[in-house]
Amino acid sequence: MGDFGFKETFSSITSDALLEALAVVILASVLIMLVQKLIPALAGKLGGKLRLYLLASVPLLRLLIIVLTIVTVVPILVEPSFENMVAIFGALGLALGFAFKDYANSLIAGIVTLYEMPYRPGDWIEVNGRYGEVRSIGTRAAEIVTLDDTVIVIPHSLLWNTLLANGNDGTDNLMCVAELHLDPNHNVARMQHLFRDVVFTCPLTKTYQPVVVTVSATDDAMRYRLKAYPLEPREQSRFISDLTARAADVCAREGVRMVSKRVTDAA
Amino acid sequence: MANDVVEDHPYLPGGLITLDQWKTPETSVQKSIRGAFRDILDQLRAGISPEEQAFQSLDDLPMLSGDRLREFAPEPDAALLAKVLVDQFDQLCRDGAGHREVSFVVAPPFSGVPEALRCLSRRVLTPPDNLLMTEQDAGRWWDEQLSGGDWAIPELADFWLRHPAGLNLLRELFARIALDHAGNGMVGCSSWCWQFWRQYSPELSLAPYTLAPLTGEQLTRWLDYLASGDGEQQVTARMTRDGLYVLPAPRQDSDLKYSSFNQDLATLARGNRGVALAIWQRTLRARPEKDDEDSGKEAVLVAGRRCWVAPLDQLSLPSVPASAGRQPSHILHALLLHDGLNTEQLALATGMQKPDIALTLDRLIRAELVGRDQASDVYRVTPLGYPAVRKNLQARGYPVDGF
Repeated sequence: MGDFGFKETFSSITSDALLEALAVVILASVLIMLVQKLIPALAGKLGGKLRLYLLASVPLLRLLIIVLTIVTVVPILVEPSFENMVAIFGALGLALGFAFKDYANSLIAGIVTLYEMPYRPGDWIEVNGRYGEVRSIGTRAAEIVTLDDTVIVIPHSLLWNTLLANGNDGTDNLMCVAELHLDPNHNVARMQHLFRDVVFTCPLTKTYQPVVVTVSATDDAMRYRLKAYPLEPREQSRFISDLTARAADVCAREGVRMVSKRVTDAA
Repeated sequence: MANDVVEDHPYLPGGLITLDQWKTPETSVQKSIRGAFRDILDQLRAGISPEEQAFQSLDDLPMLSGDRLREFAPEPDAALLAKVLVDQFDQLCRDGAGHREVSFVVAPPFSGVPEALRCLSRRVLTPPDNLLMTEQDAGRWWDEQLSGGDWAIPELADFWLRHPAGLNLLRELFARIALDHAGNGMVGCSSWCWQFWRQYSPELSLAPYTLAPLTGEQLTRWLDYLASGDGEQQVTARMTRDGLYVLPAPRQDSDLKYSSFNQDLATLARGNRGVALAIWQRTLRARPEKDDEDSGKEAVLVAGRRCWVAPLDQLSLPSVPASAGRQPSHILHALLLHDGLNTEQLALATGMQKPDIALTLDRLIRAELVGRDQASDVYRVTPLGYPAVRKNLQARGYPVDGF
């Protein structure tokens, strides 16, 4: 038993079996590649919830293909007896435990991700100060695209000990906040009312979701926060810009001066 | 409310109902699933074959046109609808349901309500040229308009603009109606406009009524009444493919075999009479696929004028062009919210530049989704394009009406 029974376990592997297993693995890889290319392309042509459902199905389908491949390949290579399984998984455990500890950590976290779904493709998340849309969920890591079109790779293992903020949590409802600082000594109720009109008349607003305008006093300015939902999470930058521009127009019309945040902070 | 639904009339099947009673015509699960798949395919196809966006007939049979079309599928008589509406409101008042001085009818586009209200023997209020008003100006304007006796507003959506300065006119009117300070009036309001204002003012409660959606059976009665009136000259319509009957409305003693066409049409149009009529007009044909189908026995059973109806799957309705941007959807949504706008108003409501609006409108017109009223220079969504537009806007997250 000095070789943990590997010799007997793998003695039945023939070149035909290897070729067959290789063919199955290649077929599975092609399938995974197709799933990862075609479904996001299809989702890109659709809007709303259907897009999110399709994107979320990609990692699940990939996991399903991987599991089916393992289930198919193992009996081709070795006789699936109890002893053989113990030998194979024991060897795998040792290898993963010592040589690829961090990698295995991420792989397991990746499987947990698919089950717990702290983020899905299409979600807008913030991890360690990085904010972006989840573009894909790989076996080891997820990729997010920031608002500045930078791709950031986030290992799933960060899940275990990092705070993660999810803005839309699998839906297409993402609250956005446009923030304005105004010179004090103006009619606050009127400005709140006018800012509410600004949000409702913006063509990018989901008017069937809550619209809230809050106000609070800072040392040198009145801080208004216009909270509303854009038609699509991907349009958050345009939405906030549009709200800010329209609100600035209202301020100009009402003769209320806007105060930049930097000036407020410096004061 | 026991008196929510008033007496039926062939011109207004189902009568007036409250908004919460409205529901889409029923359809089978199989047809719903098939429809959902078709919608998804349409969305995908829109990006592949943009030249096939406009209406198309997939058969070679001659369509009815001109006088013959007006004979078999005439436009509804607005004056008659107005009379029926007034009768129904009177009955609601007698039953104690209409307790406000201002009667409110919320209806989806193409329902014919604005045209009917223009036929009333009341003072018809028209919107001011400039819809951007201050609160004070809006108050003064309504003071002048509401002081001269009974009035009617055919389409409330004409009285506002989705712009920070374009809301005051309607806000002021709603406040007056809520306090019963607006005199005796009758208001027609597009369901899209109503939806926006309900979201803007959740407290808004003007007890509006709406037209009942047409089920397949009611649609048959309505189309029959449009074509035959009181029945002096009966119209017969049969399917081109299998000869099954669509019109006249089935009688109890009749042994004719009927098609499910009107049920499918009612579902496709979501019970909207204007949309259903527009599609109906496009399905009428001068002859069937095989001329020898008509046996002498059946000709004896049903006398009168006769036309043929192409199946709905032989029609390809307009679809919304695939676009990288939001501009077409913004314009379509604004047009529905306001029941039509000119280019200046579109620029104010959407925040788009006029050249961009012109380019997008041109594309939408070629796709038969939007039409231009030459007299008023106002652009409107077409009834044939409305089902696709509504589905597209809903899929893209826009607030849509409840009908």
